[in-house]
Amino acid sequence: MSGPHRPAQLRSGRDTGPEADPVLVEIVAGYLASVEMQVETAIGRTSRSPMIRDAHDYRAGIHDRRLRKLTGRSYSALVHPVVRDFPIETMRPGDVFFHNDVYLSEGGIGHLPDLCVTAPVFVEDRVVAFVQAFGHHDDIGGAVPGSMPSGATSVFEEGLMVPPIRLWDRGVPNKAALRIMTRNSRMPESLAADLDAECSACLMGARRMAELFERYGTPTVEACFQAILDQTTETFRREVLSRIPVGTYTFEDYAEHDGVDPPRLHTQRISLTRTSAGDPDGERLVLDFAGTGPQARGPINHCGDYADGNFLKKWLAPVLRNLADTPERMAQLDVNEGVVPLIEMRFPPPGTLLTPVFPAPTNARTFVILRLLGVLAGALAKAVDGRVPADQETIRYTGVYGTGLDGAPYLMREVLGGGSGGRYYADGEDTVHVVPDSRNLPTEFSESRFPFVVERLGLAVDSGGAGRHRGGLGYEKHLRMLADAHFMSIADRSILSCWGVRGGRAGRPFQVTVDPGGPGEREVDALADAEPVRAGEVIRIRTTGGGGWGDPLTRPYDEVVRDVLWGKVSRTGAREDYGTVVTGPGDDPRVHVEESDHLRASMRAGRGDQPFFDRGPGYATLSGGATSAEVDWL
Amino acid sequence: MSGRTRIGIDTGGTFTDVVAVDEDTGEVVATKTPSTPADPSLAFMAGIRKVLDLLGLDGEAVTAVSHGTTVATNQLLEGRVGELGLITNEGYEFLLEIARQSVPDGYGNSYFWVKPDRIVPVDRVRTVGGRMAFDGSQIRPFDEAQAVEVARWYRARGIDTIGVCFLHSYVDDRHERAMREVLAREHPGAVVSISSEVLREYREYERAVTTLVDAAVKPGIRRYVSAIAARLATLHDSSATTTPGTPSRARTGPDGVPFYVMRSNGGVGSAQEVVDQPITTVLSGPAAGALGAAVVAEAAGFSQVVTLDGGGTSTDVTVVVDGRPALTTEGSIGAYPSKIPMIDVVSVGAGGGSVAWLSPEGTLKVGPHSAGADPGPMCYGTGGDRPTVTDAHVLLARIPPHLLGGEVPLDVDLASRGIHTLAAELRLAPEACAAGILEVSAWNQANALRQVTVRRGLDVRDFTLVTFGGSGSLLACRLVDILGLQGVLVPRDPGNVSAYGLLTVDVRNDYVQTAVTRASALEPVRLQAWYDGLTARADAALAREGFPDQERVFVRTADLRYFGQAYEVRVDVPAGRLTAELGASVADAFHDQHRALYGYDNRRDPRQEVEWVNLRVTGIGPIRRPAPRRVPSGAGAVRARTGSRRVYFDDWVRTDVYDRARLGAGDEVDGPAVLEEFSSTVPVHPGFRARVDEQGNLVVRRST
Repeated sequence: MSGPHRPAQLRSGRDTGPEADPVLVEIVAGYLASVEMQVETAIGRTSRSPMIRDAHDYRAGIHDRRLRKLTGRSYSALVHPVVRDFPIETMRPGDVFFHNDVYLSEGGIGHLPDLCVTAPVFVEDRVVAFVQAFGHHDDIGGAVPGSMPSGATSVFEEGLMVPPIRLWDRGVPNKAALRIMTRNSRMPESLAADLDAECSACLMGARRMAELFERYGTPTVEACFQAILDQTTETFRREVLSRIPVGTYTFEDYAEHDGVDPPRLHTQRISLTRTSAGDPDGERLVLDFAGTGPQARGPINHCGDYADGNFLKKWLAPVLRNLADTPERMAQLDVNEGVVPLIEMRFPPPGTLLTPVFPAPTNARTFVILRLLGVLAGALAKAVDGRVPADQETIRYTGVYGTGLDGAPYLMREVLGGGSGGRYYADGEDTVHVVPDSRNLPTEFSESRFPFVVERLGLAVDSGGAGRHRGGLGYEKHLRMLADAHFMSIADRSILSCWGVRGGRAGRPFQVTVDPGGPGEREVDALADAEPVRAGEVIRIRTTGGGGWGDPLTRPYDEVVRDVLWGKVSRTGAREDYGTVVTGPGDDPRVHVEESDHLRASMRAGRGDQPFFDRGPGYATLSGGATSAEVDWL
Repeated sequence: MSGRTRIGIDTGGTFTDVVAVDEDTGEVVATKTPSTPADPSLAFMAGIRKVLDLLGLDGEAVTAVSHGTTVATNQLLEGRVGELGLITNEGYEFLLEIARQSVPDGYGNSYFWVKPDRIVPVDRVRTVGGRMAFDGSQIRPFDEAQAVEVARWYRARGIDTIGVCFLHSYVDDRHERAMREVLAREHPGAVVSISSEVLREYREYERAVTTLVDAAVKPGIRRYVSAIAARLATLHDSSATTTPGTPSRARTGPDGVPFYVMRSNGGVGSAQEVVDQPITTVLSGPAAGALGAAVVAEAAGFSQVVTLDGGGTSTDVTVVVDGRPALTTEGSIGAYPSKIPMIDVVSVGAGGGSVAWLSPEGTLKVGPHSAGADPGPMCYGTGGDRPTVTDAHVLLARIPPHLLGGEVPLDVDLASRGIHTLAAELRLAPEACAAGILEVSAWNQANALRQVTVRRGLDVRDFTLVTFGGSGSLLACRLVDILGLQGVLVPRDPGNVSAYGLLTVDVRNDYVQTAVTRASALEPVRLQAWYDGLTARADAALAREGFPDQERVFVRTADLRYFGQAYEVRVDVPAGRLTAELGASVADAFHDQHRALYGYDNRRDPRQEVEWVNLRVTGIGPIRRPAPRRVPSGAGAVRARTGSRRVYFDDWVRTDVYDRARLGAGDEVDGPAVLEEFSSTVPVHPGFRARVDEQGNLVVRRST
């Protein structure tokens, strides 16, 4: 980028100050978004790990020299640990830093397979910003292929820990470090390739960022950064904070198992306080995690209590966007460092699920951090009369591995989405994934690479929670193995369900069955490292349905009939969940209005007081018989 | 004129542009006529008659017509896909509902994202038993009885546009062919597209949607092409024959005028080929513009250019390397992805009608909402009540207070009122606000230009910008500065570039075959057989279009990747027998290209194996291009000066105004200046100089 001409309004637009010109702010924001997209595109196109390539489990972020995240499409890791170990003034052009060590990441990295690369941006010899990316690599060593041992009891079983290191020193890669890393992976080629992809992409992004600084000068660009963050703060204050009545709202939800101990309720709890304008520390949201359960023996812990919860604040803030006026507006709200001043976090003392003590295992920490999105949504629901989406659960890993027909070992792992929750303005969506742009594996790809036939790629009928607005459906996928193999699964919500709200019912949980309807029919635990499956057997995977929103007995008959026509709700489901009697042939279902009216009336009469949240039948199994929790009532 | 003329005709939203070239002298004549959106063939014929009248010729003189159409494009952009059916494998009825599970844009959007309607609702999806494997073997035979049931089911419901997509049909299409035969027998009225003919490429969801898009546009394109063919037939009387030695061989009927349609891939196809594969026309219009700009630029001595077509609602940009527009197979039209090769056009909502507004965050936004032609910018005085990019140009006097050479007057006061209101909200001076609107608009365009170059690993600073369309050249000087470009080329008649492009385009047909093979397992004989098969298909099509043996050209390419990657990089496969050595040289080209695109390669790493994925053959039937046009030498720009006015660049400054049509070759104009012509305006900023080249193009560069 060159050219001596500076935009006219930089000189003439004095009335708002020459530096935070609203035109230039818009230009810089567009530039940041385009650099972020370029870095992500380059990584996506060149990486090898299916987790990065297909599941899109990688993110780029641009941070200023004060370590504040400027871009807002997604979460990203933190620069704090790099700067902690390598003071900014010691960095040199051509340096690239690397880390994946959870406990030394200041909470920015959740598990070891997330390989994080950081490239400083230089103007002359001074660091002015950072471009960072992390991606979920397939294997970084440890007890099991894929580095996500569900029965791990310490981080030492989970793979190689690398604290922040200078991976490239002034343009020269540290070959020893690369050898150590690749030597510790079961997939050294793709590990090396993924690192190449991340380093090259970050360096490219750093070059483009340097051009921006060179063009406008550091003070002007930094003034724009400040303006971008200030705008986010103001937007969230205006469109989110103002919608929450002053008060405290508490909700909790649970992981159901940790891979080591028998299933039980692992509580995650948020007390959300919206302070008043008169509060000495100002208007803000206080998230107090008191009441969160003790650190698990298995790997579902998340290191949250670092850097004042900086990572978690940006991780959870996207849920707040559901309070904006319309879905279109929600999508426009960026979450960058600007949300941080509006959120205060209070963590329980060390030794809980959110404050684990080294070396507690963490590889399945999605059980906690993804659940926390829903816990916050539940607390918000209580504050705003339920006008937030019902619960969704969208991360689980399923896969098979073994020796292929060609004699070579393989590992197939897929992140299958689930249904999203019903919303006050729409049904939940089927088979979506919380990670943006995450993709499933085409049958034509996976059959050509792995020894199985995908006999069915469908939706799990009746899995969406009933409601005025139905929850989205989960997958029903059938793999018929062509060779003996092992099945693996890392999933929660196989006993508990995604909750419904404001009269909406819970969705159906995750379930894996081998040889359904056959002589060897058996259910597989949702946390399974190595379930043997024989050639010819079918593995049936059903993923979670989203919770329903609002009373299902108020769902218009024509919507229920359409769901029956589309095979999303069975006729039995229509009758039992929606009080709707459907008649007529399979491709021309019709409602029997009179019978249905009658049925709905008797169903209404027969039900007593209902809690604000419905957790589904699995809750009683783990709660000792209670059908609802105390926090489920308004 | 000698009496033998070839016509290019491009249908746009407002005007239908027509350009005729004399087959012998190369002389070019251009005109335009209002478009008739309800039946585009009316304006089509009106345009042809108009240009023939200008030439004093009758229909007999027409040797061929090439056409850029937006029939398919508009149908898709407006989401008018009609009642479609999809037939797929048992167990896959939810293929479209599930799609690829991805939620667009940001993290957390899965909470509130509302999935757009599927192209075929699930109750109109039917499944048939039978299953192929990835290697072409059959797991279960095709269930004929079920197929018959399905065909009758569609027939009974009057659903007569049907896509068929069976798993692994890109390797073996026998089940799809069997299904088509059943449909032909049981539901003969149905229009059917089968995926193995539309796109022989793996990834079932994308192939199914591409096939359905093909089916959806088929009836409309068929009707349209046959309506035009019928009208064209009236141009020639029944005794007329095609003149030997012309490139026009594709016949619409026994005695019709040869009729070609522009395809998205930058070539034309005969009406007959296009009707069978209508999805290849979805970007017909923009492709013609990019082609025309590329041809003009090359004649002017620029082979590395980025083209920018500025219209009322959007601006389309493309990149041209070595005279050829870049192609993509990851495009989409509106909500519909299409994996068919198409010119890589990035479209941004930054046109003349783009609305300027204040975001809730307090920043100035421009677009993507557009005031369009109705109500239009405020200065049109037709009810527009929000300031637009055009209003900013008017306020700053960058454009004259009228359009189309004075036909349409503009209301400066209305424009000014709108900008003043917005300026007050932004606490900016009105001029600063208007300049700011243009600056944001220029950056929107610049980001699009960067996107098309960067994703190919190219540096935009190595390129010259070619601007055309009504609003394309207005911000050209700013783009030079923002992007550090070499300069700008503004073709003559910038409103007619697309129609001109149509006269310069070869016949191109693309064929693809997925054949996933690691380099270590590469069997040259097998590969050769694949390529032979593709080449035979390309050859047969060119033969049908009347190209003699010696004129047919075949270009082989392949998509390669490192084993484990999900995306491929396309490289040329040189002519000649496929041998291990040739294979290795293709792999070498891949390493080079990967480095160019992404900054590294794995050439020296034996563990990082190269994998072949798709084999491609393009059959080309060359068409003779019109000779470059020339303009007489000028006698100094001062003769073209029409007056002066105060124009705001960095400040208000007295600025000379020129009539571009009166400039001759070699004339130079220093900024600040405004060059005006019938359908477009070029503001030359202070510090820039515009020079007229021998073909009448303006070349604008920084002079200081």
